[in-house]
Parts: sequence; structure tokens; C-alpha cells
Amino acid sequence: MRRYCASTWSGSTVGKLRKIFSSVRIWIVILALLMMLIALRPNPIADGVVIKSVTRNSSASLAGIENPQPTLAPSALERIITINGKEVADVQAYHGIVDTLPINRTVTLRTTRATYRLTVRPRTETIVLNETVNVTEIVQRNRTINGTTSIVNETVTKEVPKTETRILGAEPLGLAVVNTPTSNLRKGLELQGGIRVLLQPAEPVSEDTLLLMVDSLKQRLNVFGLSDIIVSPVSDLEGDDFILVEIAGATEQQARELLAKQGKFEATIGNTTVFRGGQDITYVCRTAECSGIDPNRGCSPATGGWACSYFFGISLSPAAAEHHADITRNLTVIGIPPEDYLSENLSMYLDDQRVRELRIGSSLRGVVTTEVQISGFGYGISEQEAVTNTLQDMKQLQTIIATGSLPSRITLVKVDTISPTLGTSFTRNALVMGGLAVLAVTLVLLVRYRRLSLALPIMFTSLAEIFLTLGCYALFGWSLDLAAIAGIIVAVGTGVNDQIIITDETLRGESEGGRSWKDRIKRAFSIILAAYFTMAFAMIPLIFAGAGLLRGFAITTIVGVTFGVLITRPAFGKLIEILLENDDR
Amino acid sequence: MGIIDNIIGIYDKQYKLLMVGPILLLIASLAVLGLSYATKGEFVTKGISLKGGIAITFLAPTDMTFGELQETLSTQLEGDVNVRALGEGANAYFIIEASDATEDAIVAALQKEDITLTRGEYSVEQFGGSLGASFFRQTLWALVAAFVSMAIVVFITFRTPLPSAYVILAVVCTMLMTLATISFIGLRLSTAGIAAFLMLIGYSVDTDILLTSRVLRRNEGTVFERVLSATKTGLTMTLTAFAATLVAYFSTDSDVIRQIMLILTIGLFYDMINTWLQNAALLRLYMERKHRG
Repeated sequence: MRRYCASTWSGSTVGKLRKIFSSVRIWIVILALLMMLIALRPNPIADGVVIKSVTRNSSASLAGIENPQPTLAPSALERIITINGKEVADVQAYHGIVDTLPINRTVTLRTTRATYRLTVRPRTETIVLNETVNVTEIVQRNRTINGTTSIVNETVTKEVPKTETRILGAEPLGLAVVNTPTSNLRKGLELQGGIRVLLQPAEPVSEDTLLLMVDSLKQRLNVFGLSDIIVSPVSDLEGDDFILVEIAGATEQQARELLAKQGKFEATIGNTTVFRGGQDITYVCRTAECSGIDPNRGCSPATGGWACSYFFGISLSPAAAEHHADITRNLTVIGIPPEDYLSENLSMYLDDQRVRELRIGSSLRGVVTTEVQISGFGYGISEQEAVTNTLQDMKQLQTIIATGSLPSRITLVKVDTISPTLGTSFTRNALVMGGLAVLAVTLVLLVRYRRLSLALPIMFTSLAEIFLTLGCYALFGWSLDLAAIAGIIVAVGTGVNDQIIITDETLRGESEGGRSWKDRIKRAFSIILAAYFTMAFAMIPLIFAGAGLLRGFAITTIVGVTFGVLITRPAFGKLIEILLENDDR
Repeated sequence: MGIIDNIIGIYDKQYKLLMVGPILLLIASLAVLGLSYATKGEFVTKGISLKGGIAITFLAPTDMTFGELQETLSTQLEGDVNVRALGEGANAYFIIEASDATEDAIVAALQKEDITLTRGEYSVEQFGGSLGASFFRQTLWALVAAFVSMAIVVFITFRTPLPSAYVILAVVCTMLMTLATISFIGLRLSTAGIAAFLMLIGYSVDTDILLTSRVLRRNEGTVFERVLSATKTGLTMTLTAFAATLVAYFSTDSDVIRQIMLILTIGLFYDMINTWLQNAALLRLYMERKHRG
């Protein structure tokens, strides 16, 4: 056996460091850590507030502030820099500025993306009084004289109830803001508060239908200006399908109201309802044969970019088709072919909010047909972008029309309210708990091995694993909930176990002598791999169990232990080999 | 060193006698579970997350203990009512779990006790009964499936039926004993508790595989020396886990984490008995028979 006693302390340390940093395995860990650092984008000193959602038709929405997509990474949210020149430090400061704004005041809002000008609108209440008042209005009527139809203006006098409008105060700007997130990690509901609802279709549905229902629900919830919503299909081991809806920052009341609504869809021409969602629309085509970019019109350059037209077919019930013919019969045709349309548009309403207005082709006038083709336009700067936007627009419209007629009735299985006040202390508490647990484990390892040079690497490796697993969450946009935290605890626990096995195998080999490093590490890994596979296979059934609620646990555990076995464990083996090599010989 | 040497001596010579411990514990556990099933119709008391019902968490009033609240609420509300306290001092929370009462009924009942809850300052969790029942059934199936897939992996690893069966036996015994203890102390099992049981599979199988690998796949030293070296490594593993779960149990104020940590702590204790007294002894018997035969 060679002895290195003569080497000075600093000399051996530098040598070890050089060895450590010339190992490929250690570089893989460092690279993985860097990658996850970029994914997590930690920013502990973040200040200011970001826009979480924008209420539909609010002054913020009219000023052009966009409702963020729920899939947006937390660090990519629009951040408010100043309001009327004043800096916004946190949510409290935001409310301090915004809540005192007088009515009709113009507000200049500067964000990371643009500067918006908003007007504080008055909040009014209209009371119907017990009196009536006469009003005159001009109505357009079709009149047929000698076989030709013309539009005539007529003055009518109507008696309507008298109303009084009172100003109640300033209307909120319609922005929901939160403090700037300190990392890209999405906090699950347990950590930030909100509602979790489990819905179940009243009767078994196919997978396609379930996905359609998920789309419809997303659409419906977005109409209400709630953007921080996760709607996902889940199924359990017994083959029951559920829809899981998570709404951050909503109250149970709001969630119940939103979801209990059947989603009223209505299409009107003028003031008359033509068809409603439900019985009136029997089918919305989504296949290539009867939906997509209109082959007759295609895409063409338009002012400032490209425009494409889309089309898709829907089927009306015979009664609705009859109704449609009756209403359109009296309309006039405007424009020249092929761009000829009826004088009134078709307006679509989702829960009494107008969501779309379409022109009606002249060929549909007065015709009783159950097969109706709906077409529209999409724009984009390039042709490619126009196609993408057009198809997206079409899909949205299809969903809106289908929403009114959810393929199956849904029942509310479970509503969980997670209070945000509990949420914030949970986060802090989880950090304290984690820190103390790490300390306790280090202490036990110190008692057992009696050297810091063994206890510390084990702890560092475990911390690296936690970091890698969290990074993975940020990378895939998963939200971190308590089940996931439990998974991390298991993964880290198993990690510590495996590192103890590696350490003991190497120490044992050392005392026996003879055996090569490779052999000792190999022995340790045969045990580790056996334990790894047993663990991973035990977790797989759980991914499919319990309506998906325990999935977070199983997935985190598998991700965590896999990271360990593939990335950190080999590096730890190398580290221990280098650290022990010179020490006791 | 005398005491440790004595203990190692007993562990070496009296291993057959030491197996009486796990056997008695197993019999007692089965008796507790059987009795619970006979009297209550279920092996463990299910919490509302498994059974269905409602849970309301709120900041505890300073002038009342949860026991007093439990008494008054039990008479006022229908069905099963359970009140627990969480945390201490200014950060104490009360959790009311009720199987049949509505949120409004609970809030009204609390109002009578001069506890006024305002929306947003308490958290409500509601669990549908149907989901509770089917969830429990499914989780049980998931556990069975987990054991089957685990058994297959263990068998593929060691390729000998008996030692593989011992590994599974040790894990099953750990689970049964933990379940019996939970049933005995009257803990209400929640979905998080089920997660803890699954975590336990992982921890428990780690030590058993370590032991079996060292005994079957090595040939240096006597069988007992191999068992002893595995015990040393395995106890270090279990003790670090113990330290972590105990610290977490006392430092958390999350009810979910607390139940997970309690079950893990109990489970780790039984895992030591089942691995180092039962599985180790069975393996030694197996090796002796193999050498004789």
C-alpha cells in the first residue's frame, strides 16, 4: 500500500479538488444543477407585483391588458412597474394606490410589456322605479310594396318603467395582482390557496368526449376572466373518469356558481334567438372533412399581414333549422358575390356575454337546413402565423358552440377549499421543517462516521437531489403540492440510504483491503439498483390510483429516485472514492 | 464495549429465540385488526378524506380547549364529529371533522359557542362520500398491485423463491403492525396516511434488500458476519430516517405532514424488528439448511 503521509494538507486538498473537477460524473451533476437553476430562475429579492388575471370587460381589459395564459411560467408574468409614476413595491402598496383613485381619473400603468392608460369607471346601480315614462325610438322595418322590399324607418312610442342610476363608487380596475414570484416554481393549491373541484360526468364517456368537456370547461371559466385555472382530465383504477379543476384565489362560492351553470349558449340574429346550446345544436364538426382553412378562400395578403378564412359545419335540430329560415327570410342581402351577406349578423352569447359576431352567407336566407357552415377570419403578420391564429380562433369558436351542449351532464363530486392564510404559513413551515430534518440527519451521520468529510458530502448530495427535483417541477410546469413534498421526502430519504450503502461498502472494502474501488462501488450499486427498481415498480400502480390525487406523490418519488440513481449517485461514488483514497492509507 | 459485545453475542447465538418477538407482535397485530373489524366493521378508523364529510380549519380561540368543543359539538351536530388541535399558542388551529354536518351547520353551531368565523379566514375541505368509498377501495388495490410488482422485481433480483418471499413477508409484517398500531391508538387515517404507507414500502424494502444482498451474494466471512455488517449499515439508514421523521413530526404544523411522519416513525420502528430479527433469522436458517443439504 502506498502512503501519502508526506504530502501537506493543502497539497492533498488541491489534488483532491483537481481530481473532483476532472471527473465527468461530477460535471454531469454540475451541469444538471445549472440547467435546473435556469429552469427555476430563483429571484429571492423580487419586488413589485405581477398581473395574475384580468376581468373581462373591466377598464383594464379595455385598455388592452391581456389575461395571462395559465400555462405561462410564473417568471414570465407581466409585472407592474409604476402606477401614475409611483412605484409598486408589493400587493399592499398596489391596493394603497389603486383603492383611493377617484372616479373618471385616468391611470397610467407602466408594466414590463407596455404602458397602458386606464380610466376609473364609476360603479353604478340601476333601480327600476314604480313609475313609467314614454320613450320614442326609431325602428327599421321591412315593408313590401308592389313586390319589392325596402327598409323603412318608423317612429314608435313605448311606455317603459322609469329607472334611476346611482353612482356607488369607483369600479375596480379589474386586475388581480400577486407579489412577484420568487422562482419559477408553481405553488400548488395547498401552498397558495384556492379551490379544488372534482367533477364527474353523469354517465361514462369516451376519452375524446372527456377531452372535449375539459376544453369546454376551460373556455367557460375563461369567459369569466379567471385565468389561473387548471382543468385536467383524470381517471382512476376503476376506469371512472373525472375532471379536476383547480382555481387559485377563488372562493368556494364562486367556483360552485361557475361550475353549476350548465353554460348557456345562445345565438341571435337581431334581437331574436335563433338557436341555443343543448337541444338546438346536435353536432359540431371537428374533423378535417368539414372544418379547417376554407379551401375556396384560403389565405391572402391583407393590410398589415395575412388573413385566412376558416370554416366548419354544425348540425341544427329540425326545429332550430325551421326557426333559422323564418328569421333570415326577412333579411336583405348586402355586398356582391362571393362576399355577399345578410343584413343582420349572427351574435353568439355565452352566459349572456357576447363572445362572437359572424356574418351570414346570403345562400342561407330563408332556407330550412340542418347543416350550417360557419366561417370566419384570422389574421397574422406572416402567412404561417395567420394560419396558426385562424385555426386557433376556429377551435375556440367550436368550443364555445359546443360548450352550451356539454356532451354529458357533470356532477360535483368534491370541493376542497384551501385557505391562503394557511397556505403562506405552510410554505414557511415546510422550509423550517426541511432545514431541521437535514440538520438532524447530518448529526446522526456525524455520530456514526465521526468525520465531517463523509457527513457533508452526503448532505450536499441530498440537497442537490432536492434542487434537481424542484427544477424538474419548474421545467415541466407542474405545481408543487403536499403530495409532491411527501414524494421529495421519500426520494431524499432513499438517497441518504443509498449514500450510506456506498459509504459503508467503500469503508468496508478499505478495511479488508484487496478489493478495487470499482468492485466496491459495483457491489454498492447492485444493492442500490435492486432497491431502486423495487421502489419504482411499487410506485407505478399509484400513478393510476385515487382519481389522480396521489399521482403527485408517485411521480415525484419516481422522478426523485431516478435522478438520484442516474445522476447524483454515480457522482457521489466518485466523490467518496476521491475523498477516502488518500485519507487512511 | 462489553455491553455491545454482549448484545452482539445474544444476536448471534439466540437468533431463533429472538424471532419470538416479531411472531408475538404479528399475532397481536392480527388480533387488534380482527377485533377492530369485528366491533367497528373496519380495520382502522377512516378520516373524512376517506369516508366523506367536511373538515373546517380555523385559528383556535384562546378560551377553549378542543376537548370542550368536541363535547358541545357532538351534541349539537349530526353524525360523527371530531375536533383536533394543531400547533401551539398564537398559531394554534382547531380542525373540526364532521361526517354528516354541513358547513353552515358547523358555523352556526360555533356561533352559539361565541366563535365567529368569517369567510376567507377558515379553510373548508369537503369530501364526497362516494369518492371516499371508491378512493379507499382503489388505494387498497393500488397497494396490492404495488406488492405484486414489488414481489416480481425482488424475485427477478435474487432468483431464489424463499429469500425473496422473506423480503415480501418482512414488508407485509411491517405494514400490518403499523396498521394495527394506528388502529389501536385510534388515529383517523387520511389519504395522506395512505401515502405514508406507500413511503413505508420504499423505506422498508431498502433495508431488506440490503440484508438479502449481503447474505446471499457475498461469500467472505460467516453468514453472521455478513448479517452483522448489513445490520450496521441498515441501522444507520433507519436511524437517519428516524431523526428526520421525528424532527419533522414535531416541527410541522401541517396536519397532513404530521400524520405522514407519525406513520413513518411507527413503521420504521417495526421495520427494524422485522428486518433484523425476523428476516435476518429466516435467512440464517435458510443458509444453514442450504449448507447442510
